[in-house]
Amino acid sequence: MSDEMTDEQKEAFVAKLRREVGTTGTPTTARDPVNQPMIRHWCDAMEDANPLYTDPGEASQGPHGEVVAPPAMLNAWTMIGLVPRVNDPKDPASGVYAMLDEAGYVGVVATNSEHVYNRYLKLGDHLTGTVKLVDVSEEKQTALGIGHFVTTETEYLDQNGEHVGSMFFRILKFRPGTGRTANSGDDTSNERPPRPRPSRNQDTDFFWQGSRVGELRIQKCLNCGYLQHPPGTRCPACGSTDMGYVVASGKGTLYSYVVSHHPRVPSFDYPLNIGLVELEEGVRLVTNITDCDADQLKVGMPLQAWHMQTHEDVSIPVFRPARAPRNPSTLTFDEVSVGDELPLCPIPLTPTLIVSTAIASRDYQDVHHDRDMALKKGSEDIFMNILTSSGLSARYISDWVGPDAVFKNLKIRLGAPNYPYDCMTMSGSVTAKRESDGEDIVEVSFRGQNSRGPHVTGTVELALARK
Amino acid sequence: MSLNYAYHSAIAGIGATPFTKDSGRTPMDQAVEACLAACEDAGLPPEKVNGMVTYSAEQNPEIEVARNLGIDELTHFSMVHHGGGAACGVVAVACQAIYSGAADYVLCYRAFNERSWHRFGAGVQDRPAGAEASAVSFSWSSPFGLVTPASWVAMFATRYMHEYGATTEDFGRVSVVDRDFAATNPYAHFFQRPITLEDHQNSRWIVEPLRLLDCCQETDGAQALLVTTAERAKDLKQKPAVIASAAQGVAEDQHMMRSYYRDSITGIPEMGLCARQLYQSSGLSADDIQTAIIYDHFTPLVLPQLEEFGFCDWGEAKDFIRDGHLGRDGRLPINTNGGQLGEAYIHGLNGIAEGVRQIRGTSVNQIDNVENVLATAGTAVPTSALILSQPR
Repeated sequence: MSDEMTDEQKEAFVAKLRREVGTTGTPTTARDPVNQPMIRHWCDAMEDANPLYTDPGEASQGPHGEVVAPPAMLNAWTMIGLVPRVNDPKDPASGVYAMLDEAGYVGVVATNSEHVYNRYLKLGDHLTGTVKLVDVSEEKQTALGIGHFVTTETEYLDQNGEHVGSMFFRILKFRPGTGRTANSGDDTSNERPPRPRPSRNQDTDFFWQGSRVGELRIQKCLNCGYLQHPPGTRCPACGSTDMGYVVASGKGTLYSYVVSHHPRVPSFDYPLNIGLVELEEGVRLVTNITDCDADQLKVGMPLQAWHMQTHEDVSIPVFRPARAPRNPSTLTFDEVSVGDELPLCPIPLTPTLIVSTAIASRDYQDVHHDRDMALKKGSEDIFMNILTSSGLSARYISDWVGPDAVFKNLKIRLGAPNYPYDCMTMSGSVTAKRESDGEDIVEVSFRGQNSRGPHVTGTVELALARK
Repeated sequence: MSLNYAYHSAIAGIGATPFTKDSGRTPMDQAVEACLAACEDAGLPPEKVNGMVTYSAEQNPEIEVARNLGIDELTHFSMVHHGGGAACGVVAVACQAIYSGAADYVLCYRAFNERSWHRFGAGVQDRPAGAEASAVSFSWSSPFGLVTPASWVAMFATRYMHEYGATTEDFGRVSVVDRDFAATNPYAHFFQRPITLEDHQNSRWIVEPLRLLDCCQETDGAQALLVTTAERAKDLKQKPAVIASAAQGVAEDQHMMRSYYRDSITGIPEMGLCARQLYQSSGLSADDIQTAIIYDHFTPLVLPQLEEFGFCDWGEAKDFIRDGHLGRDGRLPINTNGGQLGEAYIHGLNGIAEGVRQIRGTSVNQIDNVENVLATAGTAVPTSALILSQPR
């Protein structure tokens, strides 16, 4: 183990790791050509409904004239798959990974991925990737643990030798349990008292029973249909005491809000977003706006309910930004201005999302689907793989700009891991517009933030039509 | 309804303890001191008092205050609900008791160690508890962390800003006015400590969009008022401050500081109801008011009060304020004692005492030619308001 190494031994180890920096491995040809089933799995898992990827009719009208692969799939095609389980040991990068594994650096997280797309891939294209080992860092103390960053560059050629894209990629290999935050006692959430428990009686039980089973129930007069919240004992509209409820859709807009800073009640995280939400059914309720920074709150913003469990037997309805509908037409270069903000987009991080996207991107690293192995390798749970972070970022951008925008590149950097049961909220803005090689390019910066901080930050360049 | 008691009663005496942050005394001791001082101010022996009205939030029961004052018999005693909303309500109920003949001399009082004992600003973290309606009502807000008065008001403020284009600077201008008057009031906590708008904007967030300097103080202290008929008041020591009218108001779909479910939440309809009653019963209008005590637990709700009372049109309070009309030389100088931000927070009762001084001509920040003074009570709660006038 390297903590038992002397400085000299460490130096020698780094020198060994770096022996093959600058060399290139054997070209690896994808096991399958670009194909519709893999694309469909990817689109299903990423919830990417861009018709250019799956609908030949729509695609024929698009800028490529036929179905294309989502550009963020670039390195999915040449992933090694489940069998064989190991990389070619003659590959310089794989060799470094193996050396690090042997030395105890068994933890792995990808930190950077930068795709450049020379052209979109079409069905039948057959990729070959060649990996060059670019850099191995000194040993570094990171939040996750002590480790080395390994940087590679991969060039992708098609079956005709055409250079279709490239990827700059960096991972961290670390020793589990050596993180800055490991066992620091920093997490006080266990000591946090629960939120004030809603008190309830026969007039209001239906509401809390509803939230417990994931229903937002609004009191409804069974005689005249009048809805009211908070509930009462008698209909103020018609006087009937025959009261029932309707299950609300959970869709609403932010009518007003506050951001609480003081005094701090120990049950809550501050600053605390509290909203007054107007449901599409017409009534309002006080709630929390989760998965959204205070400065992202805007009166009128669309919201969607979810139910937060606060006690063993209590859940409360809270809201997060609603996912904006996919833009079916494509923004033109002239319609986009520097400073334009993209709508917020929440991505609930279910275990299904994390596992299905890892498999759809052909990433069989156990840390993305096997909780026991993830824990063993120093992680708190399974976590999202970087290809998915790219894929979801691309989906977010594409849903805003429209299907016909052409991605020129996609550069992301990862921070806080995406663990299950959290939510990542995407935000972004237009940061530049320019003409480059006869193309009208728009640059967008984006961020996906979970409860721990930014998971992904990145930029993308899109070629847009003039009109 | 016609408020038959218009112009019938008057405030004949006012009395207060020093306003502090740590009185070192019991609230009861302060309640008794303030009541005695009000009687002394009027020149009335306390044993003549036969009515007492206080807030339902008051923790010093009238029977104990009466016992300490040496009052043997009370023929009227009552409490008015909903915190600061009771400020003018206690006077209204005193008027009703006096007009009906239930009592001759009524003490209204409020006393607490609201800074050194139980801090009001801490809110209702411990609520809800129990299954009664009063507890259950907190279930619609407390589980989400909306537990303080500041946060309850802030929800109205954000919407008001959104609809009318008011800014946090407009709220700040109210603070600046209060602190300007407090700076020249030796009884004010913030005597000789005025603030600038920049100070306001630099003060820390409490609950956005409210900053520290939008929030009233928490105070230890007591204030009492002595109410009797305008006729009897003539025989007492001070110039009577005639109660032209005093009214209470609850409006449609009213909740305690969280009436968020109405079609519009930019106005204060319960205050509008008070305004209509006051103007109707007194025959006065906004034009007849020279100065006002506008309840200022939190600055944002000063704006819609100006609109409800007709000092400006809907949504135009911000312009009225930007034009300087609330300050010393403005159309409607407000809170000339420094208000609850500058002088002290005695649940509005200290403001009514300042209204009495403006009628008497004894305010440290006396406004010229005062004929009528408006005073309002706590906003967002079921509320009240009154107009004091020169004796005829």
